Amino acid sequence: MSCVAVKPPSGGRWKVDVIRQLKRRDQRQHEAFSDLIRHYSRMLEKSSISAGFLRTARVPSGPESLSQNDRLKTMTGELACQVVALQQELNIKQKVLEEQQSRLAGAQQGASGAQAEEQALQARAAGVQAANAGLKREYDALLLLHAAADARVRAETQRGAELLEDVIRHKQQAAARLNSANERRSRARQVTLQKDLRAAQETPITMDTFLNSPVSTSPPTDPPERAHTRPFRRKRRGNSVCSVDQEAFRPGRVCVSARVPVRARHSLDAHEQGINAVRFSSSSDMLATGGTDRVIKLWDVQAGQLNHRGTLDGSAEGITSIEFDQTGFKVLAASYDKSALLWRIDDSVPKVTLTGHSRKVTAARFRGCPQQVVTGSADRTLKLWDLQKAACVSTLQVFSYCSDLVCSENAVISGHFDGQIRLWDTRTASCTLELPAQGKVTSLDLCSDLRQLLSCCRDDCLQLLDLRGNNRMTLRAEGFKCGSDSTKAVFSPDGRYAAAGSADGGVYIWSVTNGDLQTCLSGKHSASISAVSWSLSGDYVVSVDKSRRAVLWSDI
Amino acid sequence: MADDKDVLRDVWFGRIPTCFALYQDEVTEKEAEPFYLLLPRVSYLTLVTDKVKKHFLKAVKPEDVEEMWFEYEGTPLKWHYPIGVLFDLHALNTALPWSITVHFKNFPERDLLHCLSNSVIEAHFMSCIKEADALKHKSQVINDMQKKDHKQLWMGLQNDKFDQFWAMNRKLMEYPTEEGGFRYIPFRIYQTMSDRPFIQKLFRPASPEGHTHTLGDLLKEMYPAAIAHDGDAKKYQVLIQGIEPLLETPLQWLSEHLSHPDNFLHVCILPVPTD
Repeated sequence: MSCVAVKPPSGGRWKVDVIRQLKRRDQRQHEAFSDLIRHYSRMLEKSSISAGFLRTARVPSGPESLSQNDRLKTMTGELACQVVALQQELNIKQKVLEEQQSRLAGAQQGASGAQAEEQALQARAAGVQAANAGLKREYDALLLLHAAADARVRAETQRGAELLEDVIRHKQQAAARLNSANERRSRARQVTLQKDLRAAQETPITMDTFLNSPVSTSPPTDPPERAHTRPFRRKRRGNSVCSVDQEAFRPGRVCVSARVPVRARHSLDAHEQGINAVRFSSSSDMLATGGTDRVIKLWDVQAGQLNHRGTLDGSAEGITSIEFDQTGFKVLAASYDKSALLWRIDDSVPKVTLTGHSRKVTAARFRGCPQQVVTGSADRTLKLWDLQKAACVSTLQVFSYCSDLVCSENAVISGHFDGQIRLWDTRTASCTLELPAQGKVTSLDLCSDLRQLLSCCRDDCLQLLDLRGNNRMTLRAEGFKCGSDSTKAVFSPDGRYAAAGSADGGVYIWSVTNGDLQTCLSGKHSASISAVSWSLSGDYVVSVDKSRRAVLWSDI
Repeated sequence: MADDKDVLRDVWFGRIPTCFALYQDEVTEKEAEPFYLLLPRVSYLTLVTDKVKKHFLKAVKPEDVEEMWFEYEGTPLKWHYPIGVLFDLHALNTALPWSITVHFKNFPERDLLHCLSNSVIEAHFMSCIKEADALKHKSQVINDMQKKDHKQLWMGLQNDKFDQFWAMNRKLMEYPTEEGGFRYIPFRIYQTMSDRPFIQKLFRPASPEGHTHTLGDLLKEMYPAAIAHDGDAKKYQVLIQGIEPLLETPLQWLSEHLSHPDNFLHVCILPVPTD
């Protein structure tokens, strides 16, 4: 019995009683038996263990052991099979391992090869970079040289400019000196003049003395006066258009017979650009050509060769048509710059410029004796001009773009783009007759007996109109194509043939009497022929084309 | 209070010496010695008798074995009563050790419940705890506990771990101070004389006036015959946990300290032995 020091419990005596009773209970029931039961359980355990030993120590009986042996044998057999199978598996795995190792070795080799390549490439890259650096250095050096050369150039140009200035200054000084010298001279002249005048005033003058006296002291540029000129000093009027002896009427030359040319005598590039018009002079074998390069060149024909005689310039744009006057000393041309110009053949500067059209002038013709010019223009008007006044006298409204015109005694005949040929009476300034052509009229020509009119149409035919009888003939030829809106066709000077240039570069000549194609001259032009002209002597035909070529044809 | 803790310990570690003997008719040629064991008062028969089963299975033919069951002097012992209750009820005044007969056949279906595994015992134990807490705290405390706490209660009982068990159980023994005690005292009054299994009713730990109820008040209410009037000899023994507390013991204190692990106060009323 254990003695435990117990504190007097708090609370009522019932608690004391409970605690006491619990203690007693435990003593009686628990503690009295605990050792006993413990020992008993241990004894029981020991006996069961020894009983168990006894049981297992006994030898197992016969049939049981045999079966056990068999079982063991079968087990060993199975285990042997398992061992064999496992061995096989092991072999397989070993092989796989070897294969993988060999693959690994191959991959490693490849990797090392790639590394070597990479190193080689890197070395190459370094070399290239070094080369680049060297090039760059060279480039820099060259750049410096260039800069130095640039500086030198600039210095030189500056010096050049300075020198130029010096030269100009010197020239100016020289001019000033010249001017002053001239002035001095003129002043000296004035002084002597005054002296002479004073001297002359003092001397008495009679009619006889005057008449017998030689040339007066007028400036030399004036043309020689006529005998019945007034005695007073005439005002200077500028250059007069014509002089006495030139105005004298010269009868027009007439051609007896024209000869059909056979071959080309001379072919040359006559202008800088395409040639639009060509015309033989009406009095000699002088030829004028004009075209897009804005100048008219004068040629004469000698021994089958065209020799350049002179150049007339002054037009602002290309020349469309040319005409010589009856004396052969003046040239009238119509130009793209909306004006007609008149030159004297010995002066390259135009004498008269007739402006007033609003579009290009396509044709300009002399008309009759009293110094009149008719111009036709794309602005659908015809204008009559007076050359003395250099002004437009009257304007005729035509209804269509006028491409060409010819003048007869009282009428002006114009060809138009609307396919009509119109006759105009200049006195009444109205259209007297309207004749339909085959198509767009590109050119007109009047034969020398003023009876027949040749018109060239855009639809590749030529038309002959008899002005008195109103019958017409059409000339066509295979291969003849009208090359442009201003292709010119002409009569031969005797009126027996008609010639025109084709787009294929051939000159077609028809006989007027029967309308057949006489000949076709080809092989010299490579571009479309824009105009032809027959010389007044009938010996030569000149054709010009858009590629600035002029060809002289004749029959010898 | 240290005394109260001692009381709790004494209650938990209470043991009953038992001798298990195999039923004569079931004995085979192998001799089966009786098996002695100290059974814990607070546990259940089928929970603590594995060794017994192992011991006696050696002696019994395997094909004869059904569910093991116990009886004492002809009365099948209900495993769902705590062992202490069974002992107090049947064999308190007999000689120790308590002799229980082990049967393997002829399970009495009408008297006993089957107990085929420990989970059955666990379910019964937990349901008793929940019932008790329903009476004490309207199930609030038990419902606030997690499943692992419930498991801890059961494991504590199963493995005989006082500290593990009471770590959780003290929560069930707490009450809000303004109440002064549990809502109702969970108790069961067992008796051998009648057919009723037990008496369980609602009983407050204190009267509405604030009077603390005692064990005497409970008996007066529930089993007036147990209280001996002045002058008469004591006719009945009122046993709790194998002891007879004074009738003036407060009921609240009894419920807190002398309850079984299932939180019920199991009271046994026996007639005083005449001899």
